[in-house]
Amino acid sequence: MTRAQKLNVVGFAALIVLLFAFPYLGTSGYQVSLASTVLIAAILAATVNFLAGDGGMGSLGHGAIAAAAAYGAGWSSLQGHSITMQVVVAMGTGIVVTLAYGLLSMRTNGIYFLMVTLAVGMVIYGLAYRLSSVTRGENGITGIQRPEMLAEPWAFYLFVVASFLVVTLVLLVVSRSPFGAGLRGVRDSESRMRSLGYYVPAFKLVAFMISGTIASYAGLLSVWHTHFVSPSSAEVHRSVLLFVMVILGGLGTTLGPLVGATIVVLVENVVSNSMERWPTLLGVIFVLAILFARAGLVGSTAKLVRRMRQRRAGAGPDDAAELTDVPPTSGTTTSVRP
Amino acid sequence: MFEPVFLAQQALNGLSFGALLFLLASGLTLVFGLQRIVNLAHGAFYMLGGYIGIIIATMTGNLLLAAIVSMIAVGVTALVVELGLLRFVRGQEMPEVLLTIGVMFVVADLCLAFFGGDPKTLPAQASIQGAFQLGGLTYPWYRLFVIAVAVAVGIALALIQSKTRVGAVVRAGVDDREIISAMGVNISWVFTGMFVVGAALAALGGTIGSGVLSIRPGIQNDVLLYALVVIIIGGLGSIKGAAVGAVLIGVIDAFAKAWIPEFAYFTIFAPMALVLVFRPTGLFGRTA
Repeated sequence: MTRAQKLNVVGFAALIVLLFAFPYLGTSGYQVSLASTVLIAAILAATVNFLAGDGGMGSLGHGAIAAAAAYGAGWSSLQGHSITMQVVVAMGTGIVVTLAYGLLSMRTNGIYFLMVTLAVGMVIYGLAYRLSSVTRGENGITGIQRPEMLAEPWAFYLFVVASFLVVTLVLLVVSRSPFGAGLRGVRDSESRMRSLGYYVPAFKLVAFMISGTIASYAGLLSVWHTHFVSPSSAEVHRSVLLFVMVILGGLGTTLGPLVGATIVVLVENVVSNSMERWPTLLGVIFVLAILFARAGLVGSTAKLVRRMRQRRAGAGPDDAAELTDVPPTSGTTTSVRP
Repeated sequence: MFEPVFLAQQALNGLSFGALLFLLASGLTLVFGLQRIVNLAHGAFYMLGGYIGIIIATMTGNLLLAAIVSMIAVGVTALVVELGLLRFVRGQEMPEVLLTIGVMFVVADLCLAFFGGDPKTLPAQASIQGAFQLGGLTYPWYRLFVIAVAVAVGIALALIQSKTRVGAVVRAGVDDREIISAMGVNISWVFTGMFVVGAALAALGGTIGSGVLSIRPGIQNDVLLYALVVIIIGGLGSIKGAAVGAVLIGVIDAFAKAWIPEFAYFTIFAPMALVLVFRPTGLFGRTA
């Protein structure tokens, strides 16, 4: 194990301990609840990150996938179904919606992909808003309960932490698998993969299904967290914020989504108390990140550390083993229609 | 439900909404054709243009003046965005698009700060009053005026593109950037000009459209959705495609709102899905 790897392992272990210990550090109920919000957002951002970082597919529709699953849970709870049934309905709704996204977008790439996911997401918002016989329209659905076992806020928080870690691990494994390598191949050159005999749309569809299924799970967690779902959770704004988190944290990095989600959720929930124009602040932070820290906070820090270490060691090749895997500068670029 | 008068009225509703969509989508598709970026701040430019237009129209009662002022103001905003931000990431597809998202956030939020959250519409004194009568059919003149504006803009754009030197430079830029710059054209200023023109078209749409749809927070996303669907159907970069897509979506949307209001949003999705499955580059888009 190289020194860099050791450092990474120690860092991750410290993070895991910190996450689990958080409710016992004298934090208030509000802070624990906020931490749950951050982690749920981080799970969702991780799904966007996976698709954009490894697959080169920038999605602006993941917020709506999560909302669809949340609505599934809400509708099911209105029918008086059991918790197990609610989970089944929520995940089922999420997966069906994901399949629709995937089938529509699997033959597109680059900007077209972005626009298709954006448009489908807006359609889901429209349905949530107008199909009031199922969704109760603008008022949304309230009183959705989580399982007895997770009723206590701290229990739910720990469950969310565990979910976050499992999701991160699963995405890491998928990304390191032969499938992940193929996906990166598709990202870098579709025509090359095609001529090597791969069926590119299948790669994209499977990647989208993995990403969308986890996003549905995040939607279920969020509805368990707030007991409430309304059309605003399906707004484009939500999906855009997910993308902001991914870029701020660092596209294609393992911890980027968590860092990005922390910044965005804090600006949205804490800074907004003292500053009315927080969306402007968020927009400005986002623009600055794109202009000056393209690799995001995690990516840029990793780069900086590597550069400093190289200077000290005289350009040693020791940095090959990075836990982060930063794609070439602009990240998700594949030309639209060559 | 199927009386001729009702059908005619819905068809006209569809056409006038389609006309508005064309004003919106044409700017978006032109910018895409040249620069290969989708300007996601387009909806926010529409919103800003609408607010400025309403204010000038309220002050002067003159719709033409309102449209001109709002086009200039939004054009200048776009110029600042282009020179101050987009130029630094030129040629990198994703960062360019993401920057426009940041711009959308800021513009939409500042609109909320300056113009408040109440829906605003074009004041009556600047609008065209009265209605057109034919047999049992009554239809407001203003909506017919919207159709006329869109037709005029469409014809003007088509003529400029095919008959003038500027149009030739733009067409050459779409086909081959390297060659046109080797021939002595400063292509980055052509990009800038096109971005400003696209934003000005959005502002025109916002000002004219504020007589039909009220301008309110959140409108930027609604109009962006429609514009995106229109250009996905029509094919990115094609004016003809934008026109066909706009009329198609306008008419479908009008009839869907009248017949199946619960699914109104969903019905514009069906044609888009069909186009994507059978012709992923859109009806008039270029195939790879």
